[in-house]
Amino acid sequence: MVLAHRLALESPLVEAEAIEATEFMDLVGKHHVSGVPQTTINHGTRDVVGAVPEHFLIAEIEKALKKETGS
Amino acid sequence: MEEFLDNGLKKQVRQVFEDLKEPVTILVFTSAARCEYCEETIQLLSEVTALSNLLTVEVHDLDAEAELAAHYHVDKAPGIVLAGGRGEDIIDFGIRYYGVPAGSEFGALINDLLAVSKRESGLSKETLAFLAGLQEPEHLMVFSTPT
Repeated sequence: MVLAHRLALESPLVEAEAIEATEFMDLVGKHHVSGVPQTTINHGTRDVVGAVPEHFLIAEIEKALKKETGS
Repeated sequence: MEEFLDNGLKKQVRQVFEDLKEPVTILVFTSAARCEYCEETIQLLSEVTALSNLLTVEVHDLDAEAELAAHYHVDKAPGIVLAGGRGEDIIDFGIRYYGVPAGSEFGALINDLLAVSKRESGLSKETLAFLAGLQEPEHLMVFSTPT
């Protein structure tokens, strides 16, 4: 299962989109996708390139949250 | 159109689907004006959902059913929502696919169907604790290619 989808399944606050890049080149450009898979957190607060392990993605989401709240 | 799934693959997927537990509904949002692969997507999902009585596919129109699309935050086609339950009892978990879920995404789709049906994410205790502490909505977009 797509890791982001697992997170969505467990939390009502998480929405996760798996996007077929070649069909949505406008989004690829907009979100500066440089390699796949790329996970774009909260529309670009942080980007994670590569298939990363669970704890790594969570750490990146935590960093994104900190950046958003400015703490 | 030729079928996407050959008999060997259908047999394999049917075996995986023996572990399905609760119904899952796939909502597909299409658009006549702006969708290159909607027909392929509908056909693929119809072939998949035909392999189990617990799976249903609903086809909706992004433009004609704008209110429903907005409810599910779907703004592109083909937009796919994997939801729990069926009919009046649909539970939206926030799981979306955009584009034909073929190639490497096909396996992900089958696994997602199983996980949603069983309500089993397989996430670690640490991750579950983190998710339980979330205060604000989180939005994730995962870009991939079919190969």
